[in-house]
Amino acid sequence: MSTPTVTQDAPIAELVAEAEFAKIGKRKSRHNRLWARMVRYRWLYLLLVPGVVYFALFKYAPMYGAIIAFKDYVPFLGIGGSQWVGLAQFEQFFNNPDFFRLLGNTLILALLSLVIAFPVTIFMALMLNEMRMMVLKRTVQTLIYIPHFLAWTVVASLTYLLFSQGAGPLFSFFNGVFGTHVDFLTDPAWFRPLIVLQDIWKNTGWGTIIFLAALAAVDQEQYEAAVIDGAGRFQRVWHVTLPSIRPTIVVMLILQMGQILNTGFEQIYLMTNSLNRQVADVFDTYVYFVGITQGAYSYSTAVGLFKAVIGVVLILGANWLAKRFNQDGIF
Amino acid sequence: MSVTLKRFMAGATVLTVTALALVGCSSSPSASSTSTAAPKLDKLTVMAPYLSTDAPTADNEVGQTLNKILGTDLEVNWVPNSSYGDKTNITLAGNDIPDAMVIQGKDAGFVKNANAGAFWDLTNYLKDYPNLVSSTPAVQQASSVNGKVYGIYRPRDTMRTAVIIRKDWLKKLGLSMPKTTDDLYKIAKAFTEDDPDGDGKKDTYGLIVPKWPGSVGSNSPWDAIESWYGAGNVWTQQNGKLVQSFTTPQWKKALAYEKKIVSNGYINPDYATMDSVTWNTPFLNGQGGIIIDTYSRVRQITSLMEKTDPTTYQNMIAWTGNLEGPDGKMHALPTSGYSGFIAIPKSSVKTEAQLRQVLSVLNKLNSKQAQILINNGIEGKNYNLVDGRAQAINPPTPESTLMQNTVNSYAQLGISVGGNKFYLPAQPNAYDQTQYDAQLKTAASDLKSAVYNPAAAYVSNTYVLNGATLDNIISDARIKYDAGQIDDAGLDAALKQWATSGGTQVTAEINKLYKADKNK
Repeated sequence: MSTPTVTQDAPIAELVAEAEFAKIGKRKSRHNRLWARMVRYRWLYLLLVPGVVYFALFKYAPMYGAIIAFKDYVPFLGIGGSQWVGLAQFEQFFNNPDFFRLLGNTLILALLSLVIAFPVTIFMALMLNEMRMMVLKRTVQTLIYIPHFLAWTVVASLTYLLFSQGAGPLFSFFNGVFGTHVDFLTDPAWFRPLIVLQDIWKNTGWGTIIFLAALAAVDQEQYEAAVIDGAGRFQRVWHVTLPSIRPTIVVMLILQMGQILNTGFEQIYLMTNSLNRQVADVFDTYVYFVGITQGAYSYSTAVGLFKAVIGVVLILGANWLAKRFNQDGIF
Repeated sequence: MSVTLKRFMAGATVLTVTALALVGCSSSPSASSTSTAAPKLDKLTVMAPYLSTDAPTADNEVGQTLNKILGTDLEVNWVPNSSYGDKTNITLAGNDIPDAMVIQGKDAGFVKNANAGAFWDLTNYLKDYPNLVSSTPAVQQASSVNGKVYGIYRPRDTMRTAVIIRKDWLKKLGLSMPKTTDDLYKIAKAFTEDDPDGDGKKDTYGLIVPKWPGSVGSNSPWDAIESWYGAGNVWTQQNGKLVQSFTTPQWKKALAYEKKIVSNGYINPDYATMDSVTWNTPFLNGQGGIIIDTYSRVRQITSLMEKTDPTTYQNMIAWTGNLEGPDGKMHALPTSGYSGFIAIPKSSVKTEAQLRQVLSVLNKLNSKQAQILINNGIEGKNYNLVDGRAQAINPPTPESTLMQNTVNSYAQLGISVGGNKFYLPAQPNAYDQTQYDAQLKTAASDLKSAVYNPAAAYVSNTYVLNGATLDNIISDARIKYDAGQIDDAGLDAALKQWATSGGTQVTAEINKLYKADKNK
C-alpha cells in the first residue's frame, strides 16, 4: 500500500494549489484544469498507475462475478447465460431457519474479539512500553510475535494436542485441579472461550506493533511535566499515554468494525465438530459449506455480498460516530 | 479513499472463491466453438485428475502405446486431484472444453450442469459398444441422474467393509473373531476392561473411530453398524415406499448400541474430534483394538506393522468382513460401486456422429489390451507377469517407478464397466498374498447380502439445494446422542427438524422419482 500513500499526499497538496488557482481565473473549464494539473504533476500521477491497475484488475474486475448473487448460476451456462432470479437468493438466505443462529454466532464471536482481544492488545502494548529493560522488552516482543506466523492449522493442532480428551496435558490439568470432567474441544460452552484464547495467543503480539509505534511518538516532555506535577506511573499512563494514542485506537477500532463479520474461516472450520456445531457455525463456514460442498454458488455469493455490505455499513457508521465525538476518522 | 476501498474489498473478497475464480470465464459456451460444420475429430482430448506428485509427461510411453491401441491421439489434460472440482466448473464455464472429462461424483454442481444440457445423455448409446455395456447394471443405474446415464462410470470394489482387530489381544483374552454385532460389543468391552495388553493398567479401549469428514451415508463406522442392524443404506424400502434409513426403528436400535459403547467408554475418548489421518495410530500404539473400515486399511496397517516388527506382525492383526445384526441376518454395507464417471460435454462434441466417434474410442479404451496398459503398465518395464498376476519390478528402478506413477495416473481413465480384464496385483510376500486372496473371497460372499441404496439414482431438487445441511442435522444428532448430549426426545426433535427443514420434501420427491422409474 505504499503507492497510495505517496499519491494521497499529492492530491492534498494539489487541492490547496487548486483553490488558489480557482480564485485567479474561472475562464478555464474544469476539464482543462484537471488536465493541466495532471501534466504538471505527471510523474506523481505516473506513480499512481500500478496501484490503479492493481485495484482495477484484481479488486474491481472480479466484482463482475458478484452479479451471480442475482442469478441462478450454472457453470455450464456461464455468468452471462445463467438466469436472472432477482433477490431470490437473498430471500432464501433471510428465510433460512439457520439465519439467526448464524448471525448470532458470528456477532457473538466478533463482539468477544472486539471486547476482549482488542483491549488485550492495547494493554499488552502499554505494558511493553512501560518496560525499562530494553533486552527483556525486545525478547518478549519477539516471542509474542512468533505465533502470528503460524498457520491456523498449526494452532488448531496444538489446541487439539493440549486439550484432547484423555491425552491432552491441559485437559488433565484443568479437570484434575477442578475435579470436573469438561471436554473443552466438544463442549459447546467452551467453544467461544477457546476461539478467543487462540485469537489472543496468535494475534496479540502482532497487533501491538502499531500501538507501540504510536506510543513511541508520544511527546516525552508531557511525561516530564506529569512527573513534576507529581503523577504516579498509572496516572501517567492514564492521563498522558492513553490520550496520546487515542486517535490510533479509534482508527484501529474503525478498521476492526469492517472485519466484524469476517470471523475467520480456517480457525473456526478447524475447531468445529458435530458436538459444537450449534455454536460454531458462522457466515464464513456456512458460505464454504453451501457454496463448495453443495455447489450453491449463487446462494453463497449472496451471503458473501450481504457480509460485505454489512462490513461497509459498519465502517461508515463507526467513522461517523468517531467524527461526532471529535475524533479523527479514517476518511 | 484508498482505505475505504481496501476495507470494502476485504469484505468483498469473501464473495466466495467462485466469484473470484470465475473472472475471465464469462463468455458463454455457445461462443466457444470453431463453428465449422462439425468435422470428424482428429484427436480426442480428455480431462482427468492425477493423484501422484507429478502429472505424466507429454509423449510418455504409456500414452504413446495407448494411442496405437486406440488408433487416435488421446490428449489428456491432467489436473491435480485436489483442485479437480473447481477446475471442472471453470472448464465448463470456459471456452476450451475437452471432448470427454472425468467427473468425480454426482454432486450438486454436476447435476445442475447436466440438467442445463452440458452433457450427452448416453442411456441409449452404450448398448452399441460391447466394451461399454455394464455387467452390473445396478451400479450404472446408481451412477445415473434419475435413470439418465450421463457418463461411463469408473468401477470400484463394491464390497470393502472390514472389521480390523488386534489379534494378539484377542488371543490373550481367549476370545474369537466376532461374527455378530453382539460379539463385537463383547470384544470392545473386554478390550477396555480386561487389560488386553497385560500391563496391569486400565489404559486401553475397544473401538477406534475418528471424526468423520462426511455426514450420514458416507460409509463411516457408524453407517456400517447401522446397516448391520438392518437400517438400510441411506434409503430403505418400507411398505412399498422409500424412507431414509435414519427414520427406521432399526436405526434407533443401532444408535442405542453405539451409545452403549460410547457411554461405557469402550471407544477412544476423542471420537468426536480425532483427525482421521491419525486413525491407525492408536491401533499401532496398542491403545485401541478395533477399527471398522475397509480392506485397504487392513493392508495399510499390516504394512505399517511389518515395518516396526517384521517377525511377529502377522500375529498382531486379524480382520473379518461385515457382521450379522441382532436379527441374525447379514446386512452388508457396500460402497456405491463407482467413483465418478467419464462424461461427454455437448459443447465440444457437437453432433451425434462425433459422439459415436468418441464412444468408439472409449470402447477401445476399455479393450483388454488397453485395460492392461492403463492399469498394469508395460510388461517388463514396470511389472512382470507371474502366475497370471502383475508383480511390480523389485527392487524398483527409477524408470519403473516413473512408469508406475504414469500408470497410476492413466488408471484414472479406467472405465471397465464390463468387468476387469487386467491382471490383479501380486502381493509382495506369501502372507500378504493369502490375506489378499482371503479378502477377495470374503468380499465376494459379503456381496451376496449387500444392502444397496435403492435411491442412489434419484436426484431430488430439494436435496441438491439443501442436502448437505439436512444430512448434517442427522449426523450431528447421532454424535450428540452417542455422547449423551441429547436423549431420545432430543433425537426425535432432530428428526423433526430434519423433516421440517426439507426432509419431508426430499422424501416426497424421491418417492415420486421411484414410482416413475421403470428400471427399478
